[in-house]
Amino acid sequence: MRTAVHPGLYDVAADQPTLSGTRCADCGRVYFPPLAIGCEACGAPEQQLRPIPVAAHGTIHSLAEVHLHQGKSPVPFTVAEIQLDDGPLIRALLARDEHHARIGDTVSAIWAVTEGQDGDDDVEPVFTTTPPVTEARKGANS
Amino acid sequence: MSITLAQLRPVRVVGVGLHPYQRPTDTPYTQLGVHAVRAALTDAGLRWNQVQTAYTGTATTSMALSRLMYRHLGATGIPMTQVENASASGSTAFRQACIDVAAGLADVAIAVGVDKPMNLSAPQRAAGLHDLVDGRVVPFTHFALLAARYMYEHGTTPEQIAAVAVKNSRNGALNPNAQRRKPRTLADVLAPPQISGVLTRLQCCPIGEGAAAVIVASDDAIAQLGLDRDRAVSVLSSAARSETVYDGENFDAALTRETTAQALAEASVSASDLDLVELHDAFTIEELLYVEAMGLCKPGQAATALQAGEFDIGGRVAVNASGGLLSMGHPIGPTGVGQIAEITTQLRGEAHGRQHPTARTALAHMVGVGAVCVVHILRKD
Repeated sequence: MRTAVHPGLYDVAADQPTLSGTRCADCGRVYFPPLAIGCEACGAPEQQLRPIPVAAHGTIHSLAEVHLHQGKSPVPFTVAEIQLDDGPLIRALLARDEHHARIGDTVSAIWAVTEGQDGDDDVEPVFTTTPPVTEARKGANS
Repeated sequence: MSITLAQLRPVRVVGVGLHPYQRPTDTPYTQLGVHAVRAALTDAGLRWNQVQTAYTGTATTSMALSRLMYRHLGATGIPMTQVENASASGSTAFRQACIDVAAGLADVAIAVGVDKPMNLSAPQRAAGLHDLVDGRVVPFTHFALLAARYMYEHGTTPEQIAAVAVKNSRNGALNPNAQRRKPRTLADVLAPPQISGVLTRLQCCPIGEGAAAVIVASDDAIAQLGLDRDRAVSVLSSAARSETVYDGENFDAALTRETTAQALAEASVSASDLDLVELHDAFTIEELLYVEAMGLCKPGQAATALQAGEFDIGGRVAVNASGGLLSMGHPIGPTGVGQIAEITTQLRGEAHGRQHPTARTALAHMVGVGAVCVVHILRKD
């Protein structure tokens, strides 16, 4: 069974990752991660914050290879800030085998799959400069 | 219509005191705090029973910690309030003390910062927020990302960023209250361990323990209590802001730019008037970003100005003469109060061994996660 590492942020049943964002019906601002309760830009109430798919495609704004980490992700891993074509500036992981990414590169998400508890597949999107053909099975990210 | 601090009655810093910043020990926070308060009282020539209100900047120790500390000075029944504002907790406690004196609610008020790294909390988790990098971006990676972007935009090298830690370690070595007291070469700073992006260990501030205290008073109190007017330093302005929605621009720099501009305007001071600046250099890259955001040099010119010695003690404007967060240390609650203690000492001409010449006007700046920013401008006439 495929299990999302971050429930509510994407649908792991899709062939390619799409992010689950929100859009403010009053001011038009698009959010990812999705925003609840009220709009940061204009203060509109929750009912104006509508679910919207956000394409996992954009440009690398910045990136950093992390060498010290106390969680379970093995180091090093690379965190990127990605300016999505759909508006939000997000933070995400680059694929483990992505060694030559540079600021300004175009990236899109692929699924990274790791074996979780009970034999389930833990699935999350990671970004790569190489257009996806198949799932990235090697290079566990968790 | 609202008014500014400068339009209320004058507020003077009359006493400062510190407990050295250090690696965590078994010493209780009460002992750290009382040490700093006693030093500030002695410096001001005041007794504890002449202090009318106390604000305690603290974020990582415990709720309700004020009275357990102040009672050791003799319980006088004064109001005591903990002020939590992340890294800007101490700066905000100082602001509250200034506001009380300016408004006439008190003639003598104390701001104390005290902390031990016991409970580091996670506001994102409390808010139930998740993103794709959950827990995998801690502050050093946040600033490593800013460093990479800054290098991309300005062609700055990792060595030029590391040079911030070289300067601040030189200053910290001259500060008896600093946690890191060793001067470091560029090779020392660039040496492993690599933490995140271009940031090495010595480009990240140490989180330790300590305490700082600052006493502010009205002119009435200075006259009535016979305090030394010649050593008093005036608080010209106090500005505090929080993050808004900045499209594309990095929020740490944008927030610093806005808050500093407000503090300068309220003090009727321009950036070029500043002789000394203590700023939030938790990570080397921040100093480059913030000196530009404050208008101390042109965008993209910070590394060159640093290299030319413009931010040295004795340079055009001394930046982090205390050693900054990188060398003096960042015990959280004390940090913002300790900045006021440093610039007061400098403006009085009493910073033996690290005195910046011709120090008349100075600025203290902290940012805190959230994000918030607090800026004060002080002057010695």
